[in-house]
Amino acid sequence: MPAEEDSDAGLADRAAAGDHAAFDTLVRRHTPMMYRVALRITGGSAEAEDVVQEAWLAAWRALPAFRHQSSVSTWLYRVVTNGALALLRRRRPTVSLDDVHPGPAGRRRSTLDGALVAEATPERQVVRAEQVDAVLRAIARLDVSQRVPLVLRELEGLSYEEVAEVLEVSIPALRARLHRARVALLGQLRERR
Amino acid sequence: MTDQGSGPADPERDPHWELVRAAARRRVPTPPGLVERVLRSVSGVRGRRGAPPIALPSEGGSLSVSETVVVQLARAVAAEVAEAADGVHVSAVALDDGELQVLATVRFGVAADEAAELLRDRVTEELQRQLGSPPPTVNVHVVDVHPD
Repeated sequence: MPAEEDSDAGLADRAAAGDHAAFDTLVRRHTPMMYRVALRITGGSAEAEDVVQEAWLAAWRALPAFRHQSSVSTWLYRVVTNGALALLRRRRPTVSLDDVHPGPAGRRRSTLDGALVAEATPERQVVRAEQVDAVLRAIARLDVSQRVPLVLRELEGLSYEEVAEVLEVSIPALRARLHRARVALLGQLRERR
Repeated sequence: MTDQGSGPADPERDPHWELVRAAARRRVPTPPGLVERVLRSVSGVRGRRGAPPIALPSEGGSLSVSETVVVQLARAVAAEVAEAADGVHVSAVALDDGELQVLATVRFGVAADEAAELLRDRVTEELQRQLGSPPPTVNVHVVDVHPD
């Protein structure tokens, strides 16, 4: 457990007071999470990098107003999620989400065929990797209103309370969206069998 | 809710859901250099502590602009130019030794030298238009090629 001065909250306080090194530590600590979320929402690595850059600039500008009403990490989830959503709104509508997590050519339809594989033989690991690729492609095809909560809850492992805070929705509304998202995702996975 | 009347009510109990959990466990590598590029951008925008304003020559005198303003303006202009160019992304903008450094990535297939020249020329033109004075020298560095 980090010492008080190295905790996110302590670093945020020092950064808000003008300590550049404290802010840089937050950047080093949270950029992998920010990139992961941006990539899962936007589906493109270059776009995700842009989102991360802009998100950190936005966080730097907003830091003096940060009042610890949520944890620093939840706040950063919100900043990067909002940045990714803003990019999706600006995006040209012709980008194919099938390119998001490309699998081996010609194998896409068959990746979910057969029994789900758990044993860790090399062959089965390959099959499992293809199955996971198919899941990620299916998530990328979900409507953004379903994809974002699903990414935060299922891929990032945030609690319902945290996701609701990030998306600024009520927990009952979030539960309903997540249920629709899960059903839609499973529907896609079954369709592709 | 059931799936066509025969599936489980809870999607998380569906056998396929284990694959979603596996997807959550998959590691997403952070692109090499991303943290450094972010730090450079942030550093560029917040400016050096106590840095004197930049004096730009203008008709009948000079125009003083803070480093932060120049970098923020350059970053906004570069991002606009890159978006219009398609296949070009601006990773970071910073001011080093009185010159603007623009770090860019290009999509595979885009000519890096042409993209860099376009960025340099357009950013210079637009900064000159907005500032009303010749801006600092703009250097463009293509730091990465991305596949999508």
